[in-house]
Amino acid sequence: MPDKTILLKYTSQDAPARTKEFLGLFTAALRELDALEGVNITGVEDIGLYDDGLVVRILPEGITYRNVQEGDIRRIIELTVKKGQIIKELLAKPAAKETRVALRNCGAIDPDRIEDYIAAGGYAGLKRALFELKPDDIIAEVMKAGLRGRGGGGFPTANKWQLARKAQGARKFIICNADEGDPGAYMDRSILEGDPHSVLEGMIIAGLAFGASQGIFYVRAEYPLAVERVEKAIAAAREYGLLGERILGGAFSFDVDIRLGAGAFVCGEETALLASVEGRRGYPRPRPPYPTDHGLWGYPTVINNVETLANVPPIIAKGGGWFASMGSGKSTGTKVFALTGKVRNSGLVEVEMGVPIRDIVYSLGGGTLSGKAVKAVQTGGPSGGVIPKEHLDTPITYENLAQLGSIMGSGGMIVLDEDDCVVDICKFYLKFCVDESCGKCAPCRIGGFQMLEILERISEGKGVPEDLPKLHEIATAMQKASLCGLGQSAPNPVLSTLRYFEDEYKEHIVSRRCLTGKCKGLLVYAINQEKCKRCKMCQNNCPAGAIPGDREKGFVIDASKCIKCGRCAEVCKFGAVDRR
Amino acid sequence: MPKLDKAALEKMLSARPAGGDWIKVGMSTCGLAAGAQEVYDTLVAEAKLLNAAVRVEKCGCLGMCYAEPLVEVCVSGMPRVIYGKVDKAAAMRIMERHVAAHELVDGHIIHRGERDAR
Repeated sequence: MPDKTILLKYTSQDAPARTKEFLGLFTAALRELDALEGVNITGVEDIGLYDDGLVVRILPEGITYRNVQEGDIRRIIELTVKKGQIIKELLAKPAAKETRVALRNCGAIDPDRIEDYIAAGGYAGLKRALFELKPDDIIAEVMKAGLRGRGGGGFPTANKWQLARKAQGARKFIICNADEGDPGAYMDRSILEGDPHSVLEGMIIAGLAFGASQGIFYVRAEYPLAVERVEKAIAAAREYGLLGERILGGAFSFDVDIRLGAGAFVCGEETALLASVEGRRGYPRPRPPYPTDHGLWGYPTVINNVETLANVPPIIAKGGGWFASMGSGKSTGTKVFALTGKVRNSGLVEVEMGVPIRDIVYSLGGGTLSGKAVKAVQTGGPSGGVIPKEHLDTPITYENLAQLGSIMGSGGMIVLDEDDCVVDICKFYLKFCVDESCGKCAPCRIGGFQMLEILERISEGKGVPEDLPKLHEIATAMQKASLCGLGQSAPNPVLSTLRYFEDEYKEHIVSRRCLTGKCKGLLVYAINQEKCKRCKMCQNNCPAGAIPGDREKGFVIDASKCIKCGRCAEVCKFGAVDRR
Repeated sequence: MPKLDKAALEKMLSARPAGGDWIKVGMSTCGLAAGAQEVYDTLVAEAKLLNAAVRVEKCGCLGMCYAEPLVEVCVSGMPRVIYGKVDKAAAMRIMERHVAAHELVDGHIIHRGERDAR
C-alpha cells in the first residue's frame, strides 16, 4: 500500500512524449536514493496546469511543482517525498477554483437513487421550508441570497415569486423551463441527468413559497435520457411521500407533471412556452400581462430555469446569506458555464460569479486546443455577443457582460481562436435565429433574413461600405420592435462583432480578404509563375475553364470565372497554386 | 416503501454514508455517447470475476466532457482519482491493477488539483 503518490505530466505542447522520459528519470532516482518503497509513481493524462513544463504533484499532501527540471528531481525526492518539506521556488500557483452549487451532486450520486440524494443532504431544504419557514420567509431567504434567473434574463427569482404570491388565482403553477436550445450550452441537460431531485426539490419549495399546487417540467424531446431520469425522480418522490397529498405529513400538497417540447428554440421564451404547454402552437405574445399574473390557462405562473431551481434547495438549507457571500455585487452565487469551441477542456465548469473570464478559459479550460491565441469568447449563445481578448480579465457578472455588449444568457461560452472569422461566426448565429424565428412578427421574420443576406454578401466578397450602417439600422429596429426575446436579441452577435471587429468587416468589404480563410468566397487562387513548370495539369483539371494560356506563354487563373473549388491547387505537383 | 414523514426524513439525512470501496462511472449523455455503458459493463463483469469487494455505481456528468468516459475510483489506502478516456482495456486494467493490486494505472488519470479533491 503506497504512502506517497507522485503524479507526473509534461504539460508544454512541444514534446508531449516527455512525460514517459521523466517518469523513467524519476523512477531511477527513487531507486538510487532508496525511496521506491511505498511510493506509487505514475504519468497522468491531465494535471490541471498547462504549458508549465513538467508538473509534479505529490499526494496525499497535494504539493504541486511546476517547470521541474532534471536537476530538481533528486531534491524533490530528498526533501519533499522523504521529509515532506516544501521547495518554495518550484511551487505552482493553484489553478482557478470551481465552486459547485448547482452541480453539487452531478457526478457524485446515482441520479436514479433518491436515497443517494437524501444521503447527500437532499430534501433538507424542503424540510426546513415546510416545518420551519412561512412562505414569506422562504421568499425572504431567496431574496437575501440575491438569486437571479440563470436562463438568460437574470431577473431576481424572489421578485418573480413575490409577484405570483400576490397575484389572485384559483390555482397557481410553477414551470421548470428545460427547453435548453442555445448552440453549445447543455448545463440544464447535465443537471437533469445528473441530479434531477435537486430541481424537483427546488420546484416544490417554489410551489410552497407562492402557493402553487402543480409543477410542470417543460423538457425538450431531444433530451430522452433527461426525461427518463426526471420521470424516475418523480416516481420515487411520490413513493417517498415527497410529492402528492400532504408532503412529509405536513399540510402542503403538490404534484408535478412533464411536458415535452418539440424542439422549437422560441419555446424557451416564456409566453411561447406557455402556449406550447397548453397544446397550442409555440408563438410568443406581447407582455404584459406577465405570466405571474396571467400564465398557464390564465392562472398565475412562475417559469424558472433548471439551474435556478437547482440552486434553491441549498439556499433554503444553508440560508440566503451563505449564497450571497459568494459572487460579486449584484451577481451572487455561482454560475455554470458550458465551455466549448476551440478550448482544450470542453465541458461544464461552475465558478463563483466575479471570476475573471481568463481564469475560466485558460486555467479551467486549459487554453486553446491548437495552442493559438484566443481571439474572443462568445457568451450567451445566439442572443449574446463576443468578448474580445482585450477584455478577458473582466470579472464575469451579469452587469459586466451587459456592459461589454454581451449577456450571461444560459451560460454558453464558446472560445474562438485566431482561425475563426467573426463574420462567419455571426452568420452562423444569425442563420440559427432566422431558422428558429417563429415568423409571427415582421421585425424578426424580415429583419433577420435581410441581415443574413447582407452578411452572406460580405462573406462572398460582394459587400459594399453601406452594408455596415445598414446592418446597424436593421439591428436596432429589430431590437426595438420585435415581439419577444428571440427577435430582440438576435442582432446582438452582429452588433457586438461590429463593435469590436469593425476592421475585420471592412477587411472583407474593402480589401475583399478574409484573413482566416473561413469565408470561401473571398479566397483567391493564383499561379505562382516562378514555381510553375507549365505542365498544364491545372488547365486540364479546371472544371470551370478558368485557366487560359498554353505551355508557351504560361497559365493564369481568370478570377471572374474561377469557382474556387481548389482543384488546381490539389493537382499541381509543384505547389505553384497559391491560396490567399 | 412507506411514505416518509419529518422524523423519517431526518433519520435518513443523518444516516452515515455507506463506507467501503467504490467505482463510479459517469453515465449521462456525454459519457454514454463516448462508450460509458461498455466501460460500466466491463467493470461489473471484472469485479465479479476478480471477486473484488468494490461497488460499481452509476453517476451523472462530472463536467469534464472532453475526457469521457470518466471513471472515479475510491479504494482505501489509495488516493481518490478520476480516470478519463477509459475504454474497455483501460477499465480492465483499472480493476486488475488499481483495485486489486493497489497500483495506479498509467496515462488515464485526470487530476486537476483541488477540483478533484472533493
